[in-house]
Amino acid sequence: MLIKVPSVANLGLETIKVDVEVNLASRGLPGFEIVGLADKAVAESKERVRTAILSCGIDFPAKKITVNLAPADVPKEGSLYDLPIAVGILSSILEFSVPEKSLFLGELSFDGGLRHTKGAFLMALFAKEFGFENLFVPKDSANEAAAIKGLKVLPVGNLTELTHHLLKRKIIEPVAYKETLGNISLPAEFDMKEVLGQEQAKRAIEIAAAGGHNIIMVGSPGSGKTMLACALPGILPPLNEAESLEVTKIYSASGGIPPGGSLVTQRQFRAPHHTASLPGLIGGGSKPQPGEISLAHRGVLFLDEFNEFPRQIMEAMRQPLEDGHLTISRSKQRVTYPADFMLVASANPCPCGYLNHPKKNCTCNQNQINKYQKKVSGPILDRIDLHIAIMPVDTTEFSDNQKNSEFLESSEAIKQRVILARQKQSERFKTEFIHSNSQMKNTHIKKYCKLAKDVEVILRQAAIKFQLSARSYMKMIKVARTIADLDSAEEIAISHMAEALQYRSKTYESA
Amino acid sequence: MSQHNEVGKIGESLAKEFLEKQGYKIIEQNYKTKYAEIDLVASKNRELVFVEVRTKIGENFGTPEDTINKQKLWKVLQNAKSYLAFKNWQEHARIDAICIVLNPNYTVSRLTHYENIIS
Repeated sequence: MLIKVPSVANLGLETIKVDVEVNLASRGLPGFEIVGLADKAVAESKERVRTAILSCGIDFPAKKITVNLAPADVPKEGSLYDLPIAVGILSSILEFSVPEKSLFLGELSFDGGLRHTKGAFLMALFAKEFGFENLFVPKDSANEAAAIKGLKVLPVGNLTELTHHLLKRKIIEPVAYKETLGNISLPAEFDMKEVLGQEQAKRAIEIAAAGGHNIIMVGSPGSGKTMLACALPGILPPLNEAESLEVTKIYSASGGIPPGGSLVTQRQFRAPHHTASLPGLIGGGSKPQPGEISLAHRGVLFLDEFNEFPRQIMEAMRQPLEDGHLTISRSKQRVTYPADFMLVASANPCPCGYLNHPKKNCTCNQNQINKYQKKVSGPILDRIDLHIAIMPVDTTEFSDNQKNSEFLESSEAIKQRVILARQKQSERFKTEFIHSNSQMKNTHIKKYCKLAKDVEVILRQAAIKFQLSARSYMKMIKVARTIADLDSAEEIAISHMAEALQYRSKTYESA
Repeated sequence: MSQHNEVGKIGESLAKEFLEKQGYKIIEQNYKTKYAEIDLVASKNRELVFVEVRTKIGENFGTPEDTINKQKLWKVLQNAKSYLAFKNWQEHARIDAICIVLNPNYTVSRLTHYENIIS
């Protein structure tokens, strides 16, 4: 008897339909074979399926069972085919029909229960697009699939429940669609008001958050670079619906959504250590997986001790920094992952760390400093919009400041301004495919950032004086646009442009 | 006849008796193929059953189950396949094992029937 159970395969962020064909032969020696380019995890599903069916008190059929995963030329990976295979076998021994317009996905456990399986969200998107109505997914993954409106998501706790449902003895209640978007951000390690002094740096961080601009902070050890970066999640605006879907896709594909979790509604803050490998950071592997830059999509990638990162990794970030996505090509597979992130980097000015320190003397010679600063290449620095030098806080003022810390602005207050600025941007770009000022291409800049004569004069002068590249020139306009947005101004004024130009100080350009 | 062959013979006849009591019809005994011998071929409910019989006196030197290893299973499987092909059998078939432990005086201490050992 031949049974067809529809399921899916996720290749990167793309989803294709896979028919799990289960055949119980009417002759021959008993056996259990899986064909159709299955990897190790799929091949091992034989044992899980057998034991799970036995655990439900159903005799495993002593027949020749052959499973085909069609199309046979696409490599299948992961444990998601346990459920469709089990359903195929059960349907032929218990004689129920597989419901139409349904998709199945899930990993079985030996006791017949279903475990959280990655990719439920991608399957739901696929189901929506191609007109499938019922999704049978593990209970723990149900919220993920239910984030898509208009689908009947059936949470399966274990195989017994499912057989009762399919035999129409006891129906499983579908999970209702939930509106999960809210005004939540990741819990920040610090509140902005805990950061004493550093008003200029705070302002720069606020601008970066408001426009999604890349930022580099250079300063001596202990001046508060890391603290500022760690306070950043507290002032980030929430993801909008489209952004949330994009981020959730990446997390669903890489198994980053916890059991019971649903949409990713918070901007992600990724802070990989500088010993990260190239595929770990950029993405890769023989079956290309998303790297940190994709996991930081629409969020923040914080690279502490920026110049300790291997050169190769930094240079590999050039293209995604510009394009907002990257294509990983392998001989067998080609996958495009979005990677539109806000780069926040921090670095010391020299090996000893005290170059330009107001009190301490730098002990490095010019050669050492040059070598140290050259670790970050010009092309990378050119792609960073805001450059700020962080001066150490005077510890004698420290205790006074401590008393005043309650008068400092809290993250919440800054966040409100950031949200307003972002609202202005989404209003402006509602007919475009971009969300923030930093994403503007030259055509957008021409359209939305008309400069008054006097403003342009200032920018021209600065460009000559600082020898700005064409890219930097455009970036200055984008930053000025964000500053104007924070100021609720329609036009970019001289003050906005002047402030933007401040963040182009050559703190770290060795070229 | 050396002792181990003798024990084997006793075991096979015990297994045959056992199967007949269970309602199996014995079709072949010691059927020789290219690979090895099939101890018993029986049938019940239109299903063909190949039986590998393992007999031991006492379990002090390992159980009869221990003696069924991968190579033996492979041989049994090839045997079964060639039998099915030769007889052009068109229905279900399976492979069983019967493990017998004898007391030193050749009385049965334990007889275990394992159904469908290869699947």
